[in-house]
Amino acid sequence: MELADQDLVSILAARIGAAWPSIARARTRAAEVRERLAVSISDHTSEDTSLVVFGSLARKECTSGSDLDWVLLVDGAANAEHLEAALAIESHIQKVAPKGPGPEKTFGGLVFSHDLMHYIGGGDDTNQNMTQRMLLLLESTPVGRTEAYSRVMNNVLKRYVVEDFGWMHSRNPSNVPRFLHNDVVRYWRTIAVDFAYKRRTRAGQGWALRTAKLRMSRKLTYAAGLLRCYNCALEPSLQGLDRRDQSSAALPLVDFLASQIPITPLDLFARTFLTSDRLTQTAEPFFGAYNEFLGILDDEEKRSRLDSLQYDEIAVDPTYQRVRELGHSFQESLNAVFFSEQNHAEFFRLTKTYGVF
Amino acid sequence: MRSIGFSTGALARGDFRGALAMMEGVQMDAVELSSLRVEELDALVDFGLSSDLSQFRYVSVHAPGKFAADEEHVVADKLRRLSARGWPIVLHPDAIHEHAVWRSFGAQLLIENMDKRKSVGRTATELTSVFELLPEAGLCFDIAHARQVDSSLTEAYRILRRHGDRVRQIHISDVSSASRHDRLSPSAVAAYQQIASMIPFDAPAILETPLLADLETELERAKVALGDTSSKLLVGQ
Repeated sequence: MELADQDLVSILAARIGAAWPSIARARTRAAEVRERLAVSISDHTSEDTSLVVFGSLARKECTSGSDLDWVLLVDGAANAEHLEAALAIESHIQKVAPKGPGPEKTFGGLVFSHDLMHYIGGGDDTNQNMTQRMLLLLESTPVGRTEAYSRVMNNVLKRYVVEDFGWMHSRNPSNVPRFLHNDVVRYWRTIAVDFAYKRRTRAGQGWALRTAKLRMSRKLTYAAGLLRCYNCALEPSLQGLDRRDQSSAALPLVDFLASQIPITPLDLFARTFLTSDRLTQTAEPFFGAYNEFLGILDDEEKRSRLDSLQYDEIAVDPTYQRVRELGHSFQESLNAVFFSEQNHAEFFRLTKTYGVF
Repeated sequence: MRSIGFSTGALARGDFRGALAMMEGVQMDAVELSSLRVEELDALVDFGLSSDLSQFRYVSVHAPGKFAADEEHVVADKLRRLSARGWPIVLHPDAIHEHAVWRSFGAQLLIENMDKRKSVGRTATELTSVFELLPEAGLCFDIAHARQVDSSLTEAYRILRRHGDRVRQIHISDVSSASRHDRLSPSAVAAYQQIASMIPFDAPAILETPLLADLETELERAKVALGDTSSKLLVGQ
């Protein structure tokens, strides 16, 4: 069985004797939604088009209030029927998940492979293009035909590797794809900056819920992006690659990075905890905090409360305060993974080497 | 030195005699006799059994790309007569109805990886399923199909990593997004060089490029694409 097909969170829970029912429930719900989408939408995808879903559905963290971010990814000759397919998909999706993409309109509609592949950095790499590209790499999954999705993914990853001068010229002994790593970090910082922007432009509406997501699910996605990069340094098959033949040297790394894409952020961390004995003690606080966070999102009353909370209420609001505590606990767990030489000397070294400068 | 030559089907479709006439005087030592349609097969078998093709070091036969289930045994029996001459048979995996019919060809059967329109045989994983049913078969690695399926060539890398030891022939051309074979473009040549070192050096190369340029130039382009540094195109630079 492929690693991506395994429920590594359940394997970890069984290993350490823990139970994370909200995570399990969210996974079951995600599987149901994906199944319903696959049945209703597969006919609208083709060898050149893939329906790609993002966010909680891609992470397998669906709660009762989850929205559904999607795009119809086109990688092929221009065709007027692509728009009709996108409209048909939108119609189906509204039946499955009434809460659609957000007001920024980053999702919901057609996205073309050329923009994702060619505009990495520079003025044409808009906030929207970068968000679509990074979420494609960090938390996405195709529903229906997968060919276009896989093709675009491999091409985007290849750009990050081939244009990584240090990696291609063996000046990066740790094997970490620095160009990709920098873009993952840039994306996280952009989310954080946009958080302040949205607070201002939306006059505080939904601020508390966005804070909770920033501290938990968005941070998880970012941290999993770091893991995907740092795992390149740990992967035995990537050690000692002959990079004298530069034209072919990139492909093993692209292949490895692509193999990690289908693994959800939670499963990536579960695998880390399963393979690093000294990190086992961190698994319970990490997944425990995340489990409780998903439980709050799945509680309609609490979620609704967070969504409507005003600034002057947060100091006395128990749900907000609990989410805040969970955020701190989750952060401490991440610190234990990335910033503890005792727990994981290699992650500590890589974080120090690449994390800031 | 890798044997290299053309597919008769690429040059003149079903007119293999005409295609061979085009090849006269061109420096090449391999040929693939193509009968892409079932109707062409009888004539090809008669021609193959009666002709002297000793000017070629390597000869293979491309089986029809499509036939009905009730034609499968007949098609296989006809191809077996050509296979008996030591000529490998190249077969599209999506044409197969019953794998047992083809198992007896053993290592003489070469399964070709498919373009993006097909539902089988496109990726390393899909080819694994085919080879589980045809364990002795080799692979005709169609480098253009692999690039069309994944233009980053990551899938080509996966196919060669997983099935490279089965590669006994190469198909080389460029393939458009509409799945039409085309002459080798500079970008195709540069792309193929990325994986050339993973392709067995003794696997004969068959060009499937249409007759849009002179054959010599196209052969030399293919040699460059496959990492042959003795190509006249490089030596002349």
